[in-house]
Amino acid sequence: MTYSPPRILVVDDELGMREGCRRILTEEGFEVETAEDGITGLDLFRDHGGFAVALVDLNMPRMSGLDLIQHMRELDDDIVIFVITAYAAIETAVEATRRGAYGYIPKPFTPDELLLPVRNGLERRTLSIETKRLREERERRLLEVAYERSQSSTIIGCMTDGVLVINRDRQIVLRNAAMIRILPVCVSLTLSSPLEALAWDALRDIIDETLCNGSTPGIASRELVLDKQTYLANISPIFDPSGEVLGAVAVLRDITELKKLETAKSMFVSMVAHELKSPLAAIESQLGILLHGAVEDDPAKSKQLAERSLVRARGLRTMVNDLLNLTAMETGNFTLRRQPLDLRDPLRAAVDAARDRALERNVEVCLKIAPDLDGASVLADKDSMFMVFSNLIDNAVKYTPGPGRVTVTAARHDAVLRVTVQDTGIGMAPDELDNIFDEFFRVKNDYTVHVPGTGLGLSLVKRLVEMHHGHIEVQSERGKGSVFTVSLPVAECGISQ
Amino acid sequence: MSEDPALIMAVDDDADFLDIYRHILQRGGYRVACCATPEEAVAAMEEDPPRLIITDLMMDTLHSGFTFARAIRQDPRYGRIPIIIVTAAGSQRGFDFRPQTGEDLEAMCVDAYFDKPVEPKQLLAKIAELLAVSSREVAT
Repeated sequence: MTYSPPRILVVDDELGMREGCRRILTEEGFEVETAEDGITGLDLFRDHGGFAVALVDLNMPRMSGLDLIQHMRELDDDIVIFVITAYAAIETAVEATRRGAYGYIPKPFTPDELLLPVRNGLERRTLSIETKRLREERERRLLEVAYERSQSSTIIGCMTDGVLVINRDRQIVLRNAAMIRILPVCVSLTLSSPLEALAWDALRDIIDETLCNGSTPGIASRELVLDKQTYLANISPIFDPSGEVLGAVAVLRDITELKKLETAKSMFVSMVAHELKSPLAAIESQLGILLHGAVEDDPAKSKQLAERSLVRARGLRTMVNDLLNLTAMETGNFTLRRQPLDLRDPLRAAVDAARDRALERNVEVCLKIAPDLDGASVLADKDSMFMVFSNLIDNAVKYTPGPGRVTVTAARHDAVLRVTVQDTGIGMAPDELDNIFDEFFRVKNDYTVHVPGTGLGLSLVKRLVEMHHGHIEVQSERGKGSVFTVSLPVAECGISQ
Repeated sequence: MSEDPALIMAVDDDADFLDIYRHILQRGGYRVACCATPEEAVAAMEEDPPRLIITDLMMDTLHSGFTFARAIRQDPRYGRIPIIIVTAAGSQRGFDFRPQTGEDLEAMCVDAYFDKPVEPKQLLAKIAELLAVSSREVAT
């Protein structure tokens, strides 16, 4: 900060007095302005401002000194005003002080008689300004603290985790809204209720442990179960600066959904393990029988065992592929190269791929494509579409005992392309239809036990169709057969053609 | 005791395993009845009760093998028929339920437990052992 000399205003109708004061004060380093009457003085004071001290004569034309003092005081709390007059009377001095004068300097005065009170006044002014500044700062700080407190309590209140604070006397001193949701009993607790009031022994025990072991800093972390919900409870001690334990803060996070996911994941892994192990065990047994020469005398049986091994090995490979595809979809690594696609291509390819096996089983596969499909395309990934149709057609063939028929149709219905795969196979009962799109679900009956399958095909199909903004539905009747219908939106460019 | 070879019943939802059991057991000199589900097995037993049952564990549900074994044990007509579990489901959800002791087997209502695939020799040896025990029990 650059130093600027204190400014002093001298208001006196006597020119000699004004100039005398100016000379004495200027020599002492003060900056001086003068006025010859009250009105001029007030104007100067008002327009230029920033005066630290005013020396005011009482008897002046136009406006008396007393009135000027009052006006100046109203404009500025801090200015130090001295009355300079030759006609001093005790009443006048009292009145001047009442109106805001700080002191009284009788005329005539020596330079020192002027300078001493001016310096005292300035010092007082500095102190008063500093006091005022400190007071304002303190008030501002108090406001900040109050704001910070309300901010912290708002944040704690809005946290989704339950927060509970306990003092070293094991009394509850804070609990947020989330904690009340977890433990409704909290709402009726008065602060300073004992820990036991929570009626949750497991939580109480960890908090007690934390309060007792406070000297070893660290967080106690444990999973707690309450009303079928699982919570991760993290309890940490609260220390004062000297390291003494003041209490503990417990944060409870609801991890029920995470636990469910964990269970689902481990169930899925066991399921996969079982589905892999069964066909491997079958292959191992079949090869064992073949290798130990147990069927050397029976070539037909040998061939059958070898063929079944091959079927199971192929089934395993398909399952591993399906699993990899499903995993890629879950992790978002399954990339679709979607482009305007004529659905007839993957349909024909899928029908051709299934034809040999169908012939072996005496099942006829026919493809009926409506003429309105000409020029209509879907925005789709070619490989995925092949996977969808070949899975559906393979299933239809697998679950249709010969002689039988699988009919594949494709037609356009306004903005939708509809592909149906219909078979004359074993069909399904209504209750069997509920889960057929779930991973590893397979309908189990006398017929299906002889059909190899992983229970992944249809769930893969459903996901692929949905990734293309389409949907799949199934109609089926036990003993009559099933119809799977895939609907896919027609691509914009197809409509314009 | 009849002079016919002993009838062994195999229950498994995997057709290949039924075929494998049929082969092993016929070679071992037994008659074989194959069933794809516990329900089918219960129906077949009424016609021709077997001397021993081999069953899978995880058929349409995880518990079906256990439930089936318990139902057989608790039925006064079949209570003495030995039961062997042969399964690929050694553990589920991280919980290993392979029996470790005789008490475990008793609690499961079964007489023996094998992981798939089972060695034909081991299976035949266990069958012979269990049949010998049950014959003695019948004789006494």
